[in-house]
Formats: sequence, C-alpha cells, structure tokens
Amino acid sequence: MNSFRFARSALRARPSMFSAPIQRRGYAEAVADKIKLSLTLPHQTIYRSTGVTQVNLPAASGEMGVLANHVPSIEQLKPGLVEIIEEGGATKQYFLSGGFAVVQPDSQLSINAVEGYPLEDFSADAIRSQIAEAQKIANGSGSEQDIAEAKIELDVLETLQAHVK
Amino acid sequence: MTAAWKAAGLTYNRYLAIAARTVRRSLKETPRLNAERRGLMDLRFAKWESGKQGTVRSLAQANNEAAAKAAEK
Repeated sequence: MNSFRFARSALRARPSMFSAPIQRRGYAEAVADKIKLSLTLPHQTIYRSTGVTQVNLPAASGEMGVLANHVPSIEQLKPGLVEIIEEGGATKQYFLSGGFAVVQPDSQLSINAVEGYPLEDFSADAIRSQIAEAQKIANGSGSEQDIAEAKIELDVLETLQAHVK
Repeated sequence: MTAAWKAAGLTYNRYLAIAARTVRRSLKETPRLNAERRGLMDLRFAKWESGKQGTVRSLAQANNEAAAKAAEK
C-alpha cells in the first residue's frame, strides 16, 4: 500500500519534470541572427523584409554597420555605398542618392532612398565629365544657389568616383 | 555642424533632388534613359483673382526662382 502511494506521487511529479526543459528558452531561438531588410525606392522595391546578416550604411554621422538586435535608431544617409552581406555570405553593393535608414526594435531595418543602383550600372566616363562641369560652376561666379548646387553634385560625384572603377 | 547646402538656403528636399539627379546622370546609357524620365516634372499653376485666371507658370521654374530669392537673403 505504501509503495503504491509512492509510485503514484512519482507519476504525478513526472509531467512537471518534463515540461521544464520546454519552457526554457535557448540562446539560438531568443537571438535571431538575421536582420529583416527592406530597401525601397519610390519606384522600386529592392529588398522586402529579406533576412540578411549585416548592412553597412553611409550615415550622415559616419559609416555604420548594422547587425541583428541593433539599438533602434533613425539615421540620415549621405549619398554613398550601402553594403549588404546576405545570409550565404555574398555581398551586394548599391549606391544610394541619400535618404533615411530606420532600425526598429525587432531587428527590422528599413532604408528609403530616392535613387539606388548597383555599382555596375554606373559609367565612369559620365561621372568624369560631370565632375569637370560641376567644378567649373562651383569655382565660377554664378549665384550662391548655383554654387551650392554644384557643390552637392561634386560631393555625390566624388563619392561615386571613389567606388566606380 | 550645418551642412553647406543648408547654409546656402537650400531645403533638404532640394538637396535630395539634386543628389538623385546627379546619380541618374551618372548611369550607363540604358538605365539612364529609363531613369531620367523620373526627374521630369511638368506641373503648371495659375493664380485666380476676382474670377480671372492669371498667367500659367511652370511650378518647377517658380520653385527655382523662390529658392534663388531665399538664397540671397
């Protein structure tokens, strides 16, 4: 009789012993090592919530790399190169004309820009001729507005030239 | 630090438009022809006063003139 009662209590104790490991959260499930990247232009969606490993951004406050579980932030982007390291380890590079990147708390990254193209779409000749033209205006005696616009163009073109071979 | 374009009286919108235009113009022939169409704006407006339509003007041109005036101040 006594041994029977012992067996019953052991039987009752068992479910809780088994349920404990299920409730424990492992590191692998709690920390997803992917960022959900959305890279969108007004006329095109390049990435739509795609899982990637890392994104390097040309923020106005300096170059920055974004991994999963990054601190939520909003960054203004300079015209520059965005590097996307995909899950397989392949790297994609896009030149964006400037916009904003928003890092959300759940490892979501949204990048919005006006224009964005892969590097192979740029022509080194077109960049060179535009630099010459913009320099002429920037050093000329035009209105303050024309000079300021030429300086923006120069800034974009020089960044482009550093990347396009 | 204030950006140079801001000190010159340009708006952020104008700055972005110029940067985008420059990027479009730096493309190779085929993507450039497809992209350049996006830079065009053909909005026109006219001011109506006491039931009469004033002169029809291009919005882009009027914007440019207003920006130039703001830059001189």
